[in-house]
Amino acid sequence: MTLTVKTFSSLDEAAAALSSDRRARYLGGGTLVMRALNEGDVSISTVVRANDQALTRIDASGPRITLGAGVTFAKILAERDLGFLHAPARSIGGPAVRNMGTVGGNLFAQNPYGDFTVALLALDATVAVQGTFGARDIGIEELLQSRERQAGALVLSVSCTRPASADAFRYRKVSRIKPKGGSVITLAAHLPIGGGRIAGARIALGSMAPTQIRARAAERALEGCSLDGTTIAAAAAAATEGTSPSDNALGSAWYRCQIVGVHLRRLLSGQE
Amino acid sequence: MLELRKDIFADERDDNLKEIGKGTQRQDMLGHVTGASSYFNDHKLQGMLHLKVVRSTHAHAKIRRIDTTEAERSAGVRRIIRGADVPRNLNTLLSLINFGKDDEPSLAVDKVRYKGEPIVAIVADSEREAFEAIAKVRVDYEPLPTVFDVEEALKPGAPVVNETYPKNTFTYHDVYDHQKLRFGDADAALATADHVLEQRYQMSPIEHAPTETNGAVAAPDTNGRYVVYTSTQALFFSVDTCAKILDVPSNTFHFIGGTVGGGFGGKVDTLTEPLCILGAMLTGRAVRYVFGREEEMQYGPPRGAERIYIKDGVMRDGRVVARKIRAYFDSGAYTRLSSYAAVKCAAHLPGPYTIPNVYGDVYCVFTNRTPATAMRGFGVTAMDFAIECQMDKLANLVGMDPMEFRILNAYRDGDMKAHRREAKNTALIECVQVAAEKAKWPLREEFKRASSRKDGGGSRAVIPPTPTDSRSRPTAPVQQRSSYDRLPPTVAREPPREPPPPASPPPSPRPTAPSHGATRFSSVFGTRRR
Repeated sequence: MTLTVKTFSSLDEAAAALSSDRRARYLGGGTLVMRALNEGDVSISTVVRANDQALTRIDASGPRITLGAGVTFAKILAERDLGFLHAPARSIGGPAVRNMGTVGGNLFAQNPYGDFTVALLALDATVAVQGTFGARDIGIEELLQSRERQAGALVLSVSCTRPASADAFRYRKVSRIKPKGGSVITLAAHLPIGGGRIAGARIALGSMAPTQIRARAAERALEGCSLDGTTIAAAAAAATEGTSPSDNALGSAWYRCQIVGVHLRRLLSGQE
Repeated sequence: MLELRKDIFADERDDNLKEIGKGTQRQDMLGHVTGASSYFNDHKLQGMLHLKVVRSTHAHAKIRRIDTTEAERSAGVRRIIRGADVPRNLNTLLSLINFGKDDEPSLAVDKVRYKGEPIVAIVADSEREAFEAIAKVRVDYEPLPTVFDVEEALKPGAPVVNETYPKNTFTYHDVYDHQKLRFGDADAALATADHVLEQRYQMSPIEHAPTETNGAVAAPDTNGRYVVYTSTQALFFSVDTCAKILDVPSNTFHFIGGTVGGGFGGKVDTLTEPLCILGAMLTGRAVRYVFGREEEMQYGPPRGAERIYIKDGVMRDGRVVARKIRAYFDSGAYTRLSSYAAVKCAAHLPGPYTIPNVYGDVYCVFTNRTPATAMRGFGVTAMDFAIECQMDKLANLVGMDPMEFRILNAYRDGDMKAHRREAKNTALIECVQVAAEKAKWPLREEFKRASSRKDGGGSRAVIPPTPTDSRSRPTAPVQQRSSYDRLPPTVAREPPREPPPPASPPPSPRPTAPSHGATRFSSVFGTRRR
């Protein structure tokens, strides 16, 4: 069987082509799918593309921002209103990868990639998906938990609320090769503060489980507290709870467990 | 700006030479920066087929059965090549200079010895069709115990990785399981040294990570010849290796190379050319075989891992009086070039220092890891790292400045080196002095005045009495510097076999026996007497 490439101008048709064929894969920027094909992945027999302009739209004017699934990281970096997402966008690949890699594709990137998704998970993003029965919104956490089964779904856009202040959203990627290495671990924290106390803390981790996950125990340690040394220490101590990292060439599971608390402490205390 | 210190190197260079110190453009630079350079993979030939290999999923296993029936029926498949199709399916790279025994098949037959070892090659109309056929090949493995650590591999009862070397060590001079260096009495000197420091160093494999992965394109030419576009960084070496494996005279091939997209030692192993040419011989079509990126990273040969133990004796005044070294080169499952790395390493001991008692045992060890190969100064690089770490630690131990400590122990002109050659044109002292000066590192006056050309030789030129090891002496003569270039006493060359039957138009096999140029590389092992 050879490889078929299908390009659609309508998102409906693209979604239908994607969901009707188990061996079809959507090609966004190609940084994952083309690599798989070049390395001989024969599980893909159809490549689906869509050239609807809606996929590359950015709406960053209001308090809630929306990024089309086909928006590249280079485009995010060129958008001044998306300053809070520049750190995660810049941490991905080199210029060539950032020029091609997309927000939508990043949702499906396996470890040690998918750093942008860590940021979106901390920001409690909503993902608009075109399925067999029309478009629907699902929480990013739900999408990630069922990611293996979502290959037939076409992601249209991702939206999230802009953090209240620059300090309320923090991001840190630990890699061996800087700036463009794969992730040893990736951390993102959304820390809304009201009346000096954290309300609704969300901490997301990359490379600490098969998919990006939230560090719920660490979130609980922060909730309702002021961001002081004691709170930070408690959150750092709880960082590994619920995680299940694995070994890869960049680091062992043991190593990841050793460093995740250290980097969470640095992230929360604002250290470089 | 380069500066040649004429005060130090007065006799070193003809003053009329006019290249040093000037910017000179590389001859291939313009092509590279304008994208005009032609690489092997730029040749898309008419009707070109694509070759991919089935790789072992086990690090060590017997192959019970290889079932290719389904793969043969897969769309686009032109030919499936097995080990039995390779005319001489056992080779070692340095057999071209009669060094080492043939130990590595092009395609594994009865057993795989590292994860990723090629077992079956598939030639198909497209890469995709080759990949799809690969997914249909069934290999029935019987996993065997594995060994991944050099010292574990030397223990009694360790799994035998490579039956050509049943002790898991390369055989030197037909007798030894390691390369020895003996100079003076290191044990006696260690017993009387003021301080003894023993340390362990471990270096991991390093992948060359070239921009262009290993590969070749081979096509039938006129007169039964084959034209081969290749990424090899050792073109004539690759020609002879292919001639040997395919059992044809080397003039069967017209190799075209020269533009290498990054080599650094990772493109001397001739991994793709023999199967690529064989594919062209068996199908009568042009065939391309290129490593994918993951193949290159995972199964392309790296710089080998090394484990090094150094035990030094040092006096309170800073003189190193003894250096005892045990080093283990992890060759992976096959020899490739690690045997030679160990020879280079032994010749390099104890580093650029005059130490009166040196003892070295350097092992080339087989494990179930990816075979290692050449990479930039291999055999010396890791050892130098270990030695220089050790020198810093020794300086600290005796409370000396590390720069002055090196000047004190540096070899000088006229000194006897541990491998019994007189040191000439030495300049470590001057290098350290210049480095200190540039770094504004204070040196005491006596060390600023030290010179490589003073105070060497004399008692430092003497070969000290050296006790011999208690084990029985080999029958081969001790001074056998040219033994690698002589054919072994029993010439076990197989008679040339017929090349495999070609599909269409038959390339006529040459009647002449192949000559693999055994003496061509004799300078590698120093047969030139100075």
